[in-house]
Amino acid sequence: MSDTPISIAAAPPARLSEDALAVVIGLGAFVLALVSLLGADALGWLAKSSVWIDPGTALAPASKAYASLGGAGALVLTWLALTAVLSVAAFLLGDDVGRFAVRFTVAFVIAYGAWLAGNWAHLAAVTPAEEAKFGISWSLRLTNEGGFIVALLAGLVIANFFPAFAAWLKSAIRPELYIKIAIVILGAFIAVTVAGKLSLASSVMLRGLAAIVEAYLIYWPVVYLIARKGFGFSREWSAPLASGVSICGVAAAIATGGAIRARPQVPVLVSSLVVIFAVLEVLILPVIAQTFMAREPLVAAAWMGLAVKTDGAAIAAGGITQSLIEAKAAAEGIHYQSGWILSVTATVKVFIDIFIGVWAFILAYLWTNYVNPRPGAPKARLAEIWERFPKFILGFVATFIIALALSLGTGADASGRLAGAIGEANLLRVIFFVLTFFSIGVMSDFRRLWQDGLGRLAAVYIVSLFGFVIWVGFVISWLFFAGIKPPLAS
Amino acid sequence: MAKPDLTDELKAPAEPLLPIEKKLIGGSLGLGLVLLAVLLLLNWIVPLP
Repeated sequence: MSDTPISIAAAPPARLSEDALAVVIGLGAFVLALVSLLGADALGWLAKSSVWIDPGTALAPASKAYASLGGAGALVLTWLALTAVLSVAAFLLGDDVGRFAVRFTVAFVIAYGAWLAGNWAHLAAVTPAEEAKFGISWSLRLTNEGGFIVALLAGLVIANFFPAFAAWLKSAIRPELYIKIAIVILGAFIAVTVAGKLSLASSVMLRGLAAIVEAYLIYWPVVYLIARKGFGFSREWSAPLASGVSICGVAAAIATGGAIRARPQVPVLVSSLVVIFAVLEVLILPVIAQTFMAREPLVAAAWMGLAVKTDGAAIAAGGITQSLIEAKAAAEGIHYQSGWILSVTATVKVFIDIFIGVWAFILAYLWTNYVNPRPGAPKARLAEIWERFPKFILGFVATFIIALALSLGTGADASGRLAGAIGEANLLRVIFFVLTFFSIGVMSDFRRLWQDGLGRLAAVYIVSLFGFVIWVGFVISWLFFAGIKPPLAS
Repeated sequence: MAKPDLTDELKAPAEPLLPIEKKLIGGSLGLGLVLLAVLLLLNWIVPLP
């Protein structure tokens, strides 16, 4: 689920958890968006990027009401607001505010710069009409969301060629916090996307149940068996590894490590693998999806949620898949309503996340009573289910329900204004995605694979992920989502 | 934080599967396949929008 494997042991005591902060910040953005329904435009000053050939046109304020700011002014305001809010968050997480603010600023400049580079028309223009509009003869047609890939690559370059710089940036590299904030905001975006198509949305959710069964009851036992019997790993290594490959990456590995009372280093090392392979998946799977599944967009979407580990990477992969498939469809004259592919990926991932606590409790019960019972050692407690429940999901559910209720319970005019307001909040979601991509890249030092004997663990991961998880995920996605298409844009 | 030496740990004799592990693996897979079959049936029963 989360993406921060290295800093767990060394982190100073936090005053508030990242989950709680993500809910507060995400809800804060949502509430500011809702203020627009009362007539004020509280987020119109946010910087909005566009595909560009002239750099001067790459940025503008989100709302014309703030046009006087200009693109640069909007970007400075956006940076100031993010730095202020996240610095408070860093303080509550026990970090040094000054250190965080400086390093976040550097990270923001690089990450957002990479995002803007990805908006260059030669990378992002999709249709021949767009190429003509920009006066260009070629484009890689990555859409503007190719900027996520550029941000990821920027992070990877830093991690693998400038490790000292990557270490310096560390306090600003918080993919877990960034993606959780983005997911809370995403709840509202999904709500306004699906409001007019509730029948299709409920059908998607019903099919999302299959993802839970698949992750916990199919993937987990098979990967555990591969690790135990195929590679001879001990129970202490096999259980976190099975959870890392099967469920949602880092948080699942850490929750499992805690549940079976493993040494803290075990899930941390497993987590390193999870992040590294998630990066490879983000780079490879969306391209495969575009090539072979463009006519089954929701199969591709569910596949990303099932196959790509960690929330950040999975939802990032869903975003890229969405842009690539929508671009291919647009080139063929099919214009899907945007947002559905990402929504399906997010739904699948969130559904899987919900049961981490339950699964950890089951493992804790089995380990403390049967596998490794120790006289006097604490037994598994039911309260662990709540303790390990990813609380940011409550924020996601809250924004989804409130936005859906407002969208369905108001007239067409208010509903339209709500969609516009959530669209502005969505700009923040995009920025947090960019920061997540960049952070995942900065954390992915591939040289770790050759250290600490990690190669053997990686072998289990490769066999399980590329030999089993990805393909079973594809088959089940196909069985449950084939034939379901996103609505066409009106 | 001391890092475990995986190379040394891998030289340790493999731990055989305990009965409870076999039950966990078999039970999970069995339940998973049954539930997937049920969901697949529901998937065909509930009409697509």
